[in-house]
Amino acid sequence: MIINSIKIDDTFAEAFNMRGTRVLITAQNHKWAYHAANAMTGFATSVIGCGVEAGIERELSADETPDGRPGISILMFAMGSKVLMQQLETRMGQCILTCPTAAAFAGIESDDQISLGKNLRYFGDGYQTSKLINGKRYWRIPVMDGEFLTEETTGMVRAIGGGNFLILATSQPAALHAAETAIEAMKQVPNVIMPFPGGVVRSGSKVGSKYPKMFASTNDAFCPTLKGLVNSELSDNIESVMEIVIDGLTFDDIATSMRVGIQAICDLGESSGVKRISAGNYGGKLGPHHFKLHEIMGSASS
Amino acid sequence: MTALTFTSKSNSAHNVDCRRLTPNNLANLTVAQIENLSLLNTKNSPKIADCFDVSGTDANHIIFKKTHHQLDYIGHKMTSGQITIEGDCGDFLGANMRGGNIICHGNANDRVGDQMRRGLILIAGDAGDYCGSRMIAGTIGIYGNIGSNIGFAMKRGTILLTKVPSLLATIQDCGTHTLPFLTLLFKSFSAFNTPFNALKNLRVQRYAGDLACNGNGEILICNTNVSA
Repeated sequence: MIINSIKIDDTFAEAFNMRGTRVLITAQNHKWAYHAANAMTGFATSVIGCGVEAGIERELSADETPDGRPGISILMFAMGSKVLMQQLETRMGQCILTCPTAAAFAGIESDDQISLGKNLRYFGDGYQTSKLINGKRYWRIPVMDGEFLTEETTGMVRAIGGGNFLILATSQPAALHAAETAIEAMKQVPNVIMPFPGGVVRSGSKVGSKYPKMFASTNDAFCPTLKGLVNSELSDNIESVMEIVIDGLTFDDIATSMRVGIQAICDLGESSGVKRISAGNYGGKLGPHHFKLHEIMGSASS
Repeated sequence: MTALTFTSKSNSAHNVDCRRLTPNNLANLTVAQIENLSLLNTKNSPKIADCFDVSGTDANHIIFKKTHHQLDYIGHKMTSGQITIEGDCGDFLGANMRGGNIICHGNANDRVGDQMRRGLILIAGDAGDYCGSRMIAGTIGIYGNIGSNIGFAMKRGTILLTKVPSLLATIQDCGTHTLPFLTLLFKSFSAFNTPFNALKNLRVQRYAGDLACNGNGEILICNTNVSA
């Protein structure tokens, strides 16, 4: 498949089942909501080393938040419910409780409820009070800037992590520019996050390593400087590859996000330096969800 | 479904105990069954039909009409639903309440929310003495004047007022604060047609107590000026 002179590989992205949650963070203004959200979603690029994958979903205006203040919606994903609960509590305690004027609210409905401020309340040392308002329990914890307000729990849902595509370009600046363009477009899609720095990852990995202790190592087939050494996936004119990884609440959310991102790159055309779009998988045996690039881009081909 | 309505027949010579007339007690009963219920669990208790005209079907929303200050224990131990009182009511409004909402468009007598544990009581008019006495938790709002000994032996919970009452020595001034949770609380009031709908200002005077008990209850004096 070729779209606007850019080749779309006949391959697929392989993704996994995850558990996800959404938290709405509000503050006095967007500046402090971003401080809280950035701290909360910091060091959360990959479950391999961070426990969770988290990111900012979008900015919320004051009339979209429960307490009528400016806010940020964040999504957080983990491989299991236990890790998600642990990480959410830790991050709430260290990043939201500590952030001036910040408050946290449930952002997703589900029968599965996990602690948001439920255990954090004990920070109040007996001075914490709860309010049950319209069937939802909130905790008010006295802190030095006034009162920290948090909902008791938030919902946890089944989600998908690891949707991805690779941008193969003639130079590093070209690959990065294309990735940035895709990320800007993908940020408009709800229910997804791109957890890596700036939404882009340059160190795609393969399963296993020559070193027994390493269970993942560099994706040598896509490393441009190894073209002559390994069974490379790259043609002579490819000098840099960037990957965008997507976690989302549903298959369709991720597929939409991938389509929007790839289309934004294809719209840049041949002059962008992008030659191919590919995707990362493990042969289809590890992850139950396969995002086939040709199917996703089917309606957009020319 | 229309709200289950109790219209008081006349001003009684005696106080009427309304503790049985709650959503949880009357769920799934027909009007005939309700009319035939005894007001109290005593041998000589009057029937409900002796004191009230009953109409409507939705026991989850109970309305009291033509009310007066001798209707006691309205909403006693209620756990869910809503009770609307279109006029005044007697003592012990919402006593031992466990959930749901009570909206009183008139005045209430003494001991509003006595030993209340959860739920919301909003009174558009005045309330008598010992409001929120022995309160365990929940929210009471009184837009009008308030009697003496408010929050006596209150453990937790919130009492919203618009005027500073005379306070017990064991209820202490914590200063003026802007409390973020009030946005949520005020928003939840918008479902009811009361003067509380006009409250927008999150800046309140906070009193905490009763220090003779747990001391985690609070009396908030709301500012009725609209500007936040």
